[in-house]
Amino acid sequence: MSAASEARSLFRALLRAGKHFPNYNVREYIQRRAREGFHDGAKLTDPAAVKSLLELGRQELEVVKRQSVVYGLYGRKVKNVLELDLPAFQPAGKPPASASL
Amino acid sequence: MLQRVACQLLQASRLAAPTMGNQVIRGLSAVPQPAEDADSGPSTSGGRSGVIEKKGIALRGVPLYLDMQATTPMDPRVIDAMLPYMTEQFGNPHSRTHLYGWESEEAVEDARKQIAGLIGADPKEIIFTSGATESNNTAIKGVAGYFKDKKKHVITTQTEHKCVLDSCRWLQQRGWDVTYLPVRPDGLLDLAQLEAAIRPDTALVSVMAVNNEIGVVQPMDEIGELCRKRGVYFHTDGAQAVGKIPVDVNKSKIDLMSISGHKIYGPKGIGALYVRRRPRVRLEALMSGGGQERGLRSGTVPTPLVVGLGAACAVAAREMESDLAHVRRLEERLRTGITSRLQGVHLNGPADLARRYPGNLNLSFAYVEGESLIMGLKEIAVSSGSACTSASLEPSYVLRALGVEEELAHTSIRYGMGRFTTDAEVDRAIDMTVSHVNKLREMSPLWEMVQEGVDLKSIQWAQH
Repeated sequence: MSAASEARSLFRALLRAGKHFPNYNVREYIQRRAREGFHDGAKLTDPAAVKSLLELGRQELEVVKRQSVVYGLYGRKVKNVLELDLPAFQPAGKPPASASL
Repeated sequence: MLQRVACQLLQASRLAAPTMGNQVIRGLSAVPQPAEDADSGPSTSGGRSGVIEKKGIALRGVPLYLDMQATTPMDPRVIDAMLPYMTEQFGNPHSRTHLYGWESEEAVEDARKQIAGLIGADPKEIIFTSGATESNNTAIKGVAGYFKDKKKHVITTQTEHKCVLDSCRWLQQRGWDVTYLPVRPDGLLDLAQLEAAIRPDTALVSVMAVNNEIGVVQPMDEIGELCRKRGVYFHTDGAQAVGKIPVDVNKSKIDLMSISGHKIYGPKGIGALYVRRRPRVRLEALMSGGGQERGLRSGTVPTPLVVGLGAACAVAAREMESDLAHVRRLEERLRTGITSRLQGVHLNGPADLARRYPGNLNLSFAYVEGESLIMGLKEIAVSSGSACTSASLEPSYVLRALGVEEELAHTSIRYGMGRFTTDAEVDRAIDMTVSHVNKLREMSPLWEMVQEGVDLKSIQWAQH
């Protein structure tokens, strides 16, 4: 897989995983930061830098998956006022049951 | 007059007995309970909507967090780094004889490297403490203790954090002279005054890099240059600066710096003290014991917390540019959003963003009573500059040092934005602030008089 297509699939995976994160602020941060990071990363040409950035992206994806579970277990049960008022800010429901970590 | 009455009424209601029932049950439970009772109230289509009731206030949902100077949420990457050391890798880093100790020590040393990398220091120059308060105490009392026969003078500013001011007061009680330098109305230190204050028997100059109440960034390079030239140690409380703005201990010639974990999306209860080794900074230890941390801070180093601090620093180093740009954009949005819809709003601190950390926006709203403003903004979590929200009625000493009038000091609100703050939260904060200030002003006879063009200062109030 070329670096570009791997980056694209990693980006999609990050955004998908981020949509299920239970905490509103972290959820929004993942969307914003992933877009920013991959947009800036697309401009890189040095293959070593691209490789290390992809590795970082893979590690962060694993962190998102693990911490989704932790925040789901220990997070609050009551939503914040933005999520109450605007359903668009709520997490995208339960992740698929076969979530492999 | 109105303010004092209102504050007194609120004081009285606060002293009434708080509800104890839930606390007792929670104390006996072995399972961590969520802070709210989520099952009261009907559930809506979006999931559970409970009513949270605390301190006599009912909230329909969790407030939006805009108080990043008080503390920050832990970054999930930090929690992820800490959990292995809170579960199965629980060894004491000072145990030399088995795997648990070896892996724990390795984690601590890795964290030390991460912190040193963020500030441009050598890992051997980082000492772990329980937080910036302990670091400040160690720096000030430690240096003074070492030089008590040779030096007699310490210089600090009037806008320092309470722990620095209190440590200096402690020194004064033991015969040291302390100069509390005043600041200009925008919060910046006057370098000429600092130069004039340094004496041959000055041991230490302590100036915080970024102020926690108004966000002013002091001219660190110039202060460091001055102190190095005069042979005085330069200590800085970097709690609000490290990880948020670029800090380089060699560029700014800093000799001692306090770092706080929970201000940079790390855990609470951990901090670090940077102690320069070239040229060597001498200090006495405050904590006696087994000589850990190069003899400067005895006690078992808490591996999970230290790993968290290290991870927070590593993340901050990577994210600093992105965070700064984000926070600058949000500050612009918040400030122009409020000032375009309200008059009589004063910014406390320098208007120039080159001299202020944008994540800290401290605004005073004229002709509005401070406590009622804060009580009305219950859907956003912000802090007030006045200590009216704590036990005493005195306005914040930082605002007083800036020369802010007492009425304005009472109505100051500090908005703290950070990595995880969103545009929608800022918009909601603007709407709530504007609507609540307008509501309070509508009720205010002082505001009516101002609208009619009366100059409040020229009024002779009748004595009853």
